[in-house]
Amino acid sequence: MERETIVRVEGLVKDFRPGFGLKKKRVLHGISFEVKRGEVFGFIGPNGAGKTTTLKVLMGLIRASAGRVELLGRDVGDSESRRQIGFAPESPYFYDFLSGREILTFYARLCDFPPERIAKRVEEVLAQVGLSHAAEARLRTYSKGMLQRIGVAQALVHDPGVLFLDEPMSGLDPVGRKEIRDLIMRLNAEGKTVFMNTHILSDVEMICDRVAIIVNGRIAYQGELEAFHGDRKLYDVTLSSLPADFAEEVESRLGAPLAGRGDRVVLRVPEKEMHELVQSALARGARLEEVVRHREHLEDLFLRMVEAEQPGGQA
Amino acid sequence: MRGVVTAIAANTVRDAVRNRVLYILVFFAVVMIGTSVLLATLSYVERERILQDVGLSAIRFFGVAIAIFMGVGLIQREVERRTVYTILSKPVTRARFLAGKYLGLVATLWLQLAIMVAAFVGVSLVAGAPLGVGHATALGLMALELAVVVAFATLFSSFATPFLAACYSVGLYLVGHLTRDLRGIGAGSESVAVQQVTSWIHRLFPDLSALNRSIEAVHGLPIPPAEVGLAVVMGTAWCFGFLLVAVVVFERRDFR
Repeated sequence: MERETIVRVEGLVKDFRPGFGLKKKRVLHGISFEVKRGEVFGFIGPNGAGKTTTLKVLMGLIRASAGRVELLGRDVGDSESRRQIGFAPESPYFYDFLSGREILTFYARLCDFPPERIAKRVEEVLAQVGLSHAAEARLRTYSKGMLQRIGVAQALVHDPGVLFLDEPMSGLDPVGRKEIRDLIMRLNAEGKTVFMNTHILSDVEMICDRVAIIVNGRIAYQGELEAFHGDRKLYDVTLSSLPADFAEEVESRLGAPLAGRGDRVVLRVPEKEMHELVQSALARGARLEEVVRHREHLEDLFLRMVEAEQPGGQA
Repeated sequence: MRGVVTAIAANTVRDAVRNRVLYILVFFAVVMIGTSVLLATLSYVERERILQDVGLSAIRFFGVAIAIFMGVGLIQREVERRTVYTILSKPVTRARFLAGKYLGLVATLWLQLAIMVAAFVGVSLVAGAPLGVGHATALGLMALELAVVVAFATLFSSFATPFLAACYSVGLYLVGHLTRDLRGIGAGSESVAVQQVTSWIHRLFPDLSALNRSIEAVHGLPIPPAEVGLAVVMGTAWCFGFLLVAVVVFERRDFR
């Protein structure tokens, strides 16, 4: 059965005018993607690619210049579209004169949460993000990690079905990152859809079901995280005792210096070239140490997409 | 729906009462009202009137100063601190956000006005100066004038930097107090063009002098209820008008 579409972005264009009287600059070039219910969706891209702009359009903080953007079937211009969503911005700023408990109560009231349930819900969320001990402390005394967690807490306080997180692990130490990661996975297991803006690819690989890569305001790739592993079959061939003339020949063929340690070299070759290379190497007196299927990481794909979008890159 | 506006207004009041600069301004206002007793002793005649004239002027000056000081940063500060991101990403329309901020600041100003009025009443009673309906009317209209000042300061704050918004606000406040005189001068002119221009300026800009009844209050002159009623209607209409334009401007704004 087809899952419900939570986020629908079609042909989204955003132009900014850098200053009064200056020519408009296009930062989003008609991007399109969808997020389905129950997914953890990673929206990734290098700095300045348009991730935060896209997220701000989704949150109604920036108006689209063209295109269609819907949350739960409603246009993002309708504030009701945000009733079932929670948003945690990057490096969140709050009224620092309030305590953790007060700020969450304030946000719950903004969402028209039933007043009689607010106190109980605030305590639940504080416990969920591990801040019960700091509930009475003013936010100005919170550490960066605690502020990041209160940012997630305010996004959760009205118990939304969809969460938008902008760089949720940004600036956190490894322990803090793991805590947020575990929290996201727990929330997803509870049935919440998560849209995550990030450039920490290892986190994406661990928790996301699908990704979209945005480069220079264009979607360069989108699909399930598992799908791209099968796109290009590559093998890492480890050889030793390679004759110098053969090594030079291979280097010129691959167009790059051979990488390895001591006597051993590792060659990353496509499947179709692998057999021929191994046979020639053995014929020239080299020893075959190992042949391993190379599992391409998200980082490889990401770098390939970014390079392809650069001027002079292979699009 | 009303809960959202109330929550934002209450938070604005809470934010403002933690601002030490406001306490300093209110303190100076109270000191100024207190020193009106000293100024009155310098004169042999009309001591009570001098005392109340200085007192009401101090309340107006500090009230407007605080209104502009707070009003011009009302929206811009939220944008710069990026607190607006988490608020507007909730089911909160920009109009409700603006209304909540505006009402919160007006409530704060009226709270401070109450402190200054208490000082004024105290000083008047100690000095034996008369207090009556005229004073209450003048202070009530002053409260409305502050609400108008906050409304146009909020409008300027919705698109300009605090410095520019302060310049626009001070300018509009001064123009607002001069338009009636300008119309009077224009009416005495022989040129029809001058008459029309000054008349249009008076119509286009808020006539804030309609909300200033301090002279009548201090001198015990009657204030016609019809004029008070008209001033209240016009003052309220200016508040709504400025806020409506502020909402239109704010709705179009991108938070980059």
